Amino acid sequence: MTETAIELAGLTKRFGSFTAVDGLSLRVERGEIFGLLGPNGSGKTTTIDMISGLSRPTSGAITVLGIDVLADPRKLRRSLGTVPQENALYEELTAEANLRFHADLFDVPRAGLNEKITALLELAQLQERRKSRVSTFSGGMKRRLALVRAMLHEPELLYFDEPTLGVDVQSRHALWDRIRELKERGTTVLITSNYLEEANALCDRLAIIDRGKLVALDSPSNLRRSFGDTVLEMRTHPAPGDDVVRKVRALPGVVSVIASDGSLKVTVEGGADVTGKVVTEVVGTTSLEEIQSREPSLDEVFLSLTGKELRE
Amino acid sequence: MSVRHNLRVVRAVAAADIKLTLREPLFAIIGVLIPINFLLLFLLFALSGGQAPIAVVMNDRGPLAQQFVQAMGHSSSFIIHTASAADAEHEIHSGTIVAVVTVPQEFDAALAAKARIDLPVEVNNLNVDFTNDIRRAVPLSITSFYANAFPDQVVVTAHESDVQAADTGYIPYLAVSIMVAGLMLASQLQGSVNTARDYELGTIKELALAPVSRLTIGVGKVLGAAALAAASALLLFTVVVFFLGVRPLHPLEVLGFGLLILAAFLALGVLAGTLVRRRQQAIPLSIAMVLPLFFLSGPFGPANWLGALPGAIAAVSPLTYAIAAFQHAFHGYQTAPQGLSVDAIVLAGFALAAVGSAAFVFGRRGARH
Repeated sequence: MTETAIELAGLTKRFGSFTAVDGLSLRVERGEIFGLLGPNGSGKTTTIDMISGLSRPTSGAITVLGIDVLADPRKLRRSLGTVPQENALYEELTAEANLRFHADLFDVPRAGLNEKITALLELAQLQERRKSRVSTFSGGMKRRLALVRAMLHEPELLYFDEPTLGVDVQSRHALWDRIRELKERGTTVLITSNYLEEANALCDRLAIIDRGKLVALDSPSNLRRSFGDTVLEMRTHPAPGDDVVRKVRALPGVVSVIASDGSLKVTVEGGADVTGKVVTEVVGTTSLEEIQSREPSLDEVFLSLTGKELRE
Repeated sequence: MSVRHNLRVVRAVAAADIKLTLREPLFAIIGVLIPINFLLLFLLFALSGGQAPIAVVMNDRGPLAQQFVQAMGHSSSFIIHTASAADAEHEIHSGTIVAVVTVPQEFDAALAAKARIDLPVEVNNLNVDFTNDIRRAVPLSITSFYANAFPDQVVVTAHESDVQAADTGYIPYLAVSIMVAGLMLASQLQGSVNTARDYELGTIKELALAPVSRLTIGVGKVLGAAALAAASALLLFTVVVFFLGVRPLHPLEVLGFGLLILAAFLALGVLAGTLVRRRQQAIPLSIAMVLPLFFLSGPFGPANWLGALPGAIAAVSPLTYAIAAFQHAFHGYQTAPQGLSVDAIVLAGFALAAVGSAAFVFGRRGARH
């Protein structure tokens, strides 16, 4: 059995003159939770559609679980579980009927199906609502049901589009726990998300794509580190002048400096030495009223890599 | 992927579509009732348009005058009631009748004396169709009356020989045509609404990601829609057979051609649903596709009697062949020169083309919604 769950090589998709995905190459290892991040329109959904065989690339190759997706997309679908953003649940059917329908589509053996459905509904904390129509469920309940439905045929690879979009905090953590349990069972999980916090909490590795191109690929901590290891946020009086900004920017180990309305945000790499030099430079020209030191956030990494907010 | 798995998917998709339609009463009612409404509306139109309401003012109640009014009654052109001159005047000006025919005083005496009689006919000529009915039917009634009352004086008579064994009334003829259109509409509505629903609600992704071919999914959807369209067809059949008393001479032909029409228009429905992907657009689109076909396909009489251009247009409409086949199944006659086997070949070919197009477009569009 190959250790690679997904391998994309030079994947390109064009719609007329518009290039949605542009020469994308990456590998996802088996058993990892892999996040695909990018602003709206960056090519995430197009990439996922090609991975699941719903759309053919203009060029490039896709191998998923050792299967050439272009040659045999149906074979792949047996091993692929999908939780689309819109859930794709039949709202006028009951929770149980939705699971039974999925079992029919994926030819889940009838022997033991009842027990399996019961176990999954318990996992989703929906056993008491087994006979209720999905239209009566909250957003979080629907999301949990969609997740366990995708698990019903025991896929080796599970794709989860925006896992916790529109769900409450309690449901979000319950969903995260289920996703982590999947990883513990050896399932490869591919998620796309607009929540960097979610990607940070769940993913072993992240790929950031923008305008259809791979911008960065690493673990969340390494991505943050690549941007700098410390962010200093300082409030000064008077506001920092251009000369201070220029001097701080010129210091070795300073990655970026942003001044606005009496505050200065400096990202550095090199630890306490660099931090100390920055503070010394600032207090030499202005009065420091407040200082905070923290790790860079993924939002900042994302912004620095793509030049835009994730939710643009 | 085994045959058993494919059959399991077909059954599941069909059952889910039936359940979903039944749980959305509005769409179920629309799907079943639009075709039956179609039938009732056209029949009402035929009933109301066939005979003109008129008043007869009887200024002479002699036996010949009575006989003349009877002749008018037998012309199948009028709904007659007698009224006073004042009441008849009021009725024609208030728009409740098309014409007033006045039987003059001494009608009988004048006839006996072979004197000229001027029969006053006042027509509300706001609609030339009704006006022409009066203009044709009154002289016809006079001729008919003369032929019966004074057979020796009428020396030219028509000697009719009939091609068919029995007359077919306008309503029984029209009812069969409308039944075909209703069957088409029911099939297309159910096919399009069931397919559009999956795109509209996003559940198409669940179907598209299943490890089966799109054709298998499509067959399941067509069968689900067929069960619902069949309910509508059965209702149409019940009205035509039991309420209108139009019974099929060849029930197996009704079944065979009915299934062909069902298959063709269910597939067209799937095609339409895939293209518009919204139920609220699928319904008017289905009606818009069926109505012009209906009028172009000779529903009121054999298509070739419409003239050269309408006849040529009718020849390319599949509904023409469906109507011709159903007229044969119910009444036992051919309304078109091509014959029953050509009807069957054209309909089967059309059904295959529709199924092929639907499978192609459904397969190409996939989960994009």
